[in-house]
Amino acid sequence: MIKVKSRQPPRYYRYLSAYLMLLPALILLIVFVLIPIALGFYLSFHRWDGFNQPVYIGINNYIRLAQRDDIFVKAVTNTVIFAVSVVSVKNVLGLGLALLVNQKIRGVIFFRTALFLPVTLSFVVIGLLWSWIYNPSFGLLNAGLELIGLDSLIRPWLSDPSTALGSIITVDIWKWTGFHMVLYLAGLQAIPRDLYEVAIIDGANAWARLIRITLPLLAPVTFINVLLSLNGAFVRNFDLVYVMTGGGPNNATEVVLTHLVTQSFRFGKLGYASAMGFVLFAIVGVIGAVYIRIGRSGTYNF
Amino acid sequence: MAAAQFRNQSDAFSDDFYRQLGAGFKLFLVYGILIVATAQTIYPLIWMIFGSLKSDSDLFNNIWGPPRMAIWQNYADAWRTAELGARIGNSIIVTVLSLGLLLVVSSIAAYALARLRFPGREVIFLLILATMMIPPEVTVIPLFIVVRDIGILNSRLGLVMVYVGTSMAFSIFLLRGFFMSIPYELEDAALVDGANRLRVFVYIVLPLARPGLATVAIFQGMFIWNEFFLAFIFIRNTEMQTIPLGLVNFFYRYQADWTLYFAALTTVTIPVIVLYVAMQRWFIEGLTAGAVKS
Repeated sequence: MIKVKSRQPPRYYRYLSAYLMLLPALILLIVFVLIPIALGFYLSFHRWDGFNQPVYIGINNYIRLAQRDDIFVKAVTNTVIFAVSVVSVKNVLGLGLALLVNQKIRGVIFFRTALFLPVTLSFVVIGLLWSWIYNPSFGLLNAGLELIGLDSLIRPWLSDPSTALGSIITVDIWKWTGFHMVLYLAGLQAIPRDLYEVAIIDGANAWARLIRITLPLLAPVTFINVLLSLNGAFVRNFDLVYVMTGGGPNNATEVVLTHLVTQSFRFGKLGYASAMGFVLFAIVGVIGAVYIRIGRSGTYNF
Repeated sequence: MAAAQFRNQSDAFSDDFYRQLGAGFKLFLVYGILIVATAQTIYPLIWMIFGSLKSDSDLFNNIWGPPRMAIWQNYADAWRTAELGARIGNSIIVTVLSLGLLLVVSSIAAYALARLRFPGREVIFLLILATMMIPPEVTVIPLFIVVRDIGILNSRLGLVMVYVGTSMAFSIFLLRGFFMSIPYELEDAALVDGANRLRVFVYIVLPLARPGLATVAIFQGMFIWNEFFLAFIFIRNTEMQTIPLGLVNFFYRYQADWTLYFAALTTVTIPVIVLYVAMQRWFIEGLTAGAVKS
């Protein structure tokens, strides 16, 4: 034992090698994550065009966001609607499909593979494809509605302000449901079979088994699923909106990121846009922290 | 069991009959839902392929069905006008470089965090955990300034650095978990035999952590290959555009060549679908392992 110890290099040398191993990663993290966060916070209190000296204006950017920027208020509302709907629908549908593809039936591998497929495609590909599906002159959707006699539902989905946001939300759900299905499936397969056998003997019907056994035992997987869907829900919406509607019609589908990009890269208001970024950062940060807190205090042991 | 058997004996006919009827109906329902769900997933993609082979009039008049006559010329035209070759090349360069750099840097850091003891380890790990929860989108303006001031704006290298920097925390977190699940004994034996840390890491730890490396490669590879927002901010030159940027650019420049759009989209989508179907176990298991581990 003592011999082995004596062959180890001295302590400071071991510390040094550990720090050297971490150095490249830390430099990248500092330059591309930490400095931007600090700089964004700093810029949000300034008026800046990106070239001249930033001018300190206190919390004026934030006041303007809350009181004088109707598009921003609309964008925040839309972002929240987007987030709430995608998180809830993806998880409910994902779990539902997972229950179905967890059965021992023929062709189940095919269904799993097919349903997961959209996860692998980019938002741009999916956004373009769906904007054509919604297209009023050659789109699949209107043609389909006509085919089954629902002519009254036919409309220009993306240029009608009342349906545009919902149409985009649908596409995001279409892309990700298979991902959540696969995660729920992994959770379902980890539940011991004999629990169900005992329940059947005790006379529990399928509904009771779902509520009393499946859902409680699935709680940790549900926690991860909701966390993952929540993580992107507020920010992974730019691509679809930009590709499908560009924020229109009449700002009906504007989200915080599209507004931020317009204000900064078209109008050069970098300080103002930084304030928007920071509001988004605060929303995401607070929700994430609260959610993890709840998860930790519960049974999930995250 | 006993109770069920007793019931079966007393009322065998009707019980069996209803159970089979119920099972048949249930199976019918399960298949019904799965077929509808799968059709609405797959048909848009089949429709995309149909559209890529149609003529203009076919596209507008024969919306649902397959092309009346396949026009393969669409592909040649789309490849040329959308400059797909250059864009695919850019995407490959950016994805391969990013993944390579990310895997090397993050696995070394993750190993230090998982195995070595040194002052400040907990603080560094907490820092990484915290930054993992911050999506790069929310700091895009200051990130743009940083990249501009370093002088790597509008270059593939700049985009690579941004991808690596913003994916770093998540990869380290994931790999650390994998490294921690490898038993100590193997490493200790090698260390006692006189191997240094680097050799142990390269020859013992990395091969054992292959599933973890695969998970990171699939997760991040898919993310980088498909990424649009950051590329849109950091790349302005047409020659350096990756596939998603190029597609959007193509779409906004020629506002009426519908069949060419379908062909361009199909061209870049089919390889991804083929790769996914060929490696679907890796995809699904990799993503599951990653999510469940974290």
